[in-house]
Amino acid sequence: MAGIFRRRWRRWVNRRIPRSDSQTFSQRNVFILPTGAGAVFCFLLLVMLLTGINYQNSLIYLLTFLLGAIFVAAMHQTHRNLVGLRLTLINTGEGFPGTDIEFRLRATSDHSDAVAIHITPEDGDVESFTVQKGELVEVCLSAQGTSRGPVSAGDLRVETRFPFGLLTAWSWMRPVREGLCYPRAIAPPDIPGGGEEGEQSSGTAASSDLSNMNIRPWRQGDLTQRVLWKRFARTGEMVIADWEGDAADPEWLDFDSFPGVDKELRLSYLAALVEQRDQLGAPYGLRLPGSRIEPDASRLHRAHCLRALGRHGFGSPAAESVLPGDLLGQSGRFDRAADSMSHQHD
Amino acid sequence: MTKRHGISPVLPTSALLWLLIAFGLLLLPQLDRLPIWLSVSCVALAGWRWLVQLGIIRLPGRILRIAIMVALIAFYVLGARGQFSVETASSFFVLAVGMKWLETRTTRDVYVLFFILCYLAAVNFLFQQGILWALINFIGISLLLISLQVLNAPDIPNSVATSWRRLGGLLLKTLPVVVLLFIFFPRLSPLWSVPLVSGQARTGISDSMEPGSISDLAQSSERAFRVTFGGMLPEYRDRYWRGLILDRFENERWEQADKAMAGRPGRISSDGGIGDLREDEYDVLLEPTYQRWAFALDNSSPVSANVTGEPDGTFVFDRPADTSIRYRMEREENPSQRSNEQTLSQADQYRYLQLPREGNPRARDYARKLLTEYQEPLDYAQALMARFRSQPYFYTLRPPAMPEDSVDALLFDVKRGFCAHYASATAFMLRAAGIPSRIVIGYQGGSPGNNDEYLIIRQYDAHAWVELWSPDRGWVRLDPTAAIAPQRIESGLRDAVAEEGSFLENEWISPSRYGDVALVRWLTLQADSINYEWQRWVVGYQGQTQMNLMSRLPGNFSLRDLGYLSAGLFGGSLLVAGLWTSWRQRRRVPNDPLERLMVRWRRLLEARGGDVTSSDTPITLARKAADQMPAQGSRHAVFARAVNNHYYGSAPLSRRDWLRLKRLLSSLTR
Repeated sequence: MAGIFRRRWRRWVNRRIPRSDSQTFSQRNVFILPTGAGAVFCFLLLVMLLTGINYQNSLIYLLTFLLGAIFVAAMHQTHRNLVGLRLTLINTGEGFPGTDIEFRLRATSDHSDAVAIHITPEDGDVESFTVQKGELVEVCLSAQGTSRGPVSAGDLRVETRFPFGLLTAWSWMRPVREGLCYPRAIAPPDIPGGGEEGEQSSGTAASSDLSNMNIRPWRQGDLTQRVLWKRFARTGEMVIADWEGDAADPEWLDFDSFPGVDKELRLSYLAALVEQRDQLGAPYGLRLPGSRIEPDASRLHRAHCLRALGRHGFGSPAAESVLPGDLLGQSGRFDRAADSMSHQHD
Repeated sequence: MTKRHGISPVLPTSALLWLLIAFGLLLLPQLDRLPIWLSVSCVALAGWRWLVQLGIIRLPGRILRIAIMVALIAFYVLGARGQFSVETASSFFVLAVGMKWLETRTTRDVYVLFFILCYLAAVNFLFQQGILWALINFIGISLLLISLQVLNAPDIPNSVATSWRRLGGLLLKTLPVVVLLFIFFPRLSPLWSVPLVSGQARTGISDSMEPGSISDLAQSSERAFRVTFGGMLPEYRDRYWRGLILDRFENERWEQADKAMAGRPGRISSDGGIGDLREDEYDVLLEPTYQRWAFALDNSSPVSANVTGEPDGTFVFDRPADTSIRYRMEREENPSQRSNEQTLSQADQYRYLQLPREGNPRARDYARKLLTEYQEPLDYAQALMARFRSQPYFYTLRPPAMPEDSVDALLFDVKRGFCAHYASATAFMLRAAGIPSRIVIGYQGGSPGNNDEYLIIRQYDAHAWVELWSPDRGWVRLDPTAAIAPQRIESGLRDAVAEEGSFLENEWISPSRYGDVALVRWLTLQADSINYEWQRWVVGYQGQTQMNLMSRLPGNFSLRDLGYLSAGLFGGSLLVAGLWTSWRQRRRVPNDPLERLMVRWRRLLEARGGDVTSSDTPITLARKAADQMPAQGSRHAVFARAVNNHYYGSAPLSRRDWLRLKRLLSSLTR
């Protein structure tokens, strides 16, 4: 019975508070009720009033009215404490299962301080913060990534009990954007000797077979790892090996290289290989059904690959995800590329 | 789902500190009625908790805690002796708070303390209603509220100062509603009756008189009651405030033969009469005496319903005066009409002639001798007074002890005594001569308050005198003190014992002692006047007073109307508060000037067809703008950098920078 009411109530609330990455709390979406302490306080006021009546004590009347009025004023104050607060989801995090996936929120408050605000994710720890008027506060929430795929922050309950803790004003924020959980990295059983891909990688690791490479002069922006230092020592020329456009490149990590293995496990294997390649600093590319990522070697590239693995099969993200290194002009391009790829896939 | 937020293992020190101070303040009004061990243990337990907070010692373990509780409760039960009254309940309250300190660990415990202390403030008002005590209680409540604020937001800087400011604002905003509710909330009649105190003797006169009992009182300048007269103040020598009658002399002490005053106390009634005082009326505000008798001038009759007359011409309340109580009396113009009982019944004859079989032989002999000369009771009395006047009898606050045959000793040997001694001797002499007589205890005198608007009667005005029965004139007052020390009756105790210098000799700090210093007198009179008005108009604002006030307002409200009115007030104030909030919200403009520019900038980009989302940083926005308006790209970048500098850089924007940015933005708009 209670469950039905709860569901119905949540449905009503959800209609009232649409999903949005930016939420300004106003009278329309802030609810207020006495806390347990507030209920006891009301009872206490009643007892005090009875005492005042029975002992014909004007001062007890006065005290009761004063406390009662303060309770009502506190209702106003608590409500106003939350109203006017604006929360914006500015960044969603990514991570492997078992790690904390961060959601960064920016809180501002226009005309009054928002004191002692608590944000409770559906599963996670409470974050408390105070925003002074005109100030800007960043709040980090974390959710545990459990399985591969998008991680929703869920419905965040935003609550305050300030000033006296006798009343609680609350609302929800229902962000759209989601964090991402990568596949769990599981090392493929046949590294390094087993699979087709492993053989290829061992072939390159020796880096003797330069015939497959395009040699081109070093340009600004090329990674130092890719410079052929032996040749530099010999000739004094800074050249790098460029694998671009080479379909038979041994450095491709391929979804299809684990025949007969479950899709999730394949992705896990690929995640482990990406991590391994990244450790080695060797360039690699990623091929997934319907999309491919050109070989490269950088933290950014790693994140890009892991993101593609994590998001594989989940469709396009609801909104463009902003990388932590957003200010590097490239990321936007990469993101857009990734998006267009997954669109193709759909 | 972790919902129990705010429960931290360590309470904020500041919150605990304010709570402790509030506890100390709210304990003050209780101190004089609490047993000493209780006050001491409360302070010790609170101190313990504070030391725990400072990390010096630890909270007691469970066993020790239970042991302390059991011991304290056992003490308490032994002390209360099975009596139940509000007073014992309130000391249990205090004990409960004291014990609670030992287990104040979480937020929840703080709330428990908060509730108990709030109620303790209410209980304090039952016993102390002076304006200073009220202030102390209200300050205590404020500190509690400060403590709660600090508890709920411990991490904001300057939390105590902002809490005070916030609380002040709250109080100011709610004050009008509180005042209106106080005036209009219907004062209902009491629902049940529980004794406030379990009958201990307090300062004030008691229901028996031993030699010396009144001279003890004369050392106290505590206020007994205050009187406002409808007409002129009576002459000093006519200010005899009759309280109770002692009619039985036994073992050198006078007492009441008939103590049928016990019984279930009535409900508290603070209705002390309404409307302006008529010419012959007077209004008494009595401090708590914990006794049932009321004080009144000769030939008075009750006006307010909370006093009733007794056959012996005294007046009693329905219940002991355990709070300050206001009542109204009327003086009869023609005293001869009053005593229509011109004969004394047989029982009363017997009652007012009672004497012990033996003792004081010399006084009995002297009475016999005097009676042969003066047969008429009044003549006999005059002869006795003449003796007091002519012989060297002294009025003194330091009489020698007269343990046996005190009347003999006073009349023939010592000749030094206080009013009680002389009254006792006079009544004895009258009864020995077969003249019915009784001792009256009460007050004589009273000094005018501020601007002579009312009289203040203090404990040192306590007095004892005699009334004798004359078949012609009924009961006649006879005051031997008037014969020995006329100044006592004409201008008060201070002048009567001026030579001796014994006036309030033990009360060093009493302002009354320094009543001859003009400034001190002025200050005490002002303070008393404020307190008197407070007691009469705020504390004494009860049922009849309220109805009286309402009857003067247009509309003629009944009690029920007042109920509706109060509910309307409450609802109305809620509505006003709600409307005020929504109005404030309507006209919302960002306060940060730079943010206003940001809003304009975003709008500009949106107008140019840009894909602007809320999560865009200024740099992203600038890049998007550059994509759309390549010509102005660099200016957008400048704007974005300035914004970033302001929010994240070392130096916030100055007003000049802001103006420059504004111009820049305007140039972009074109």
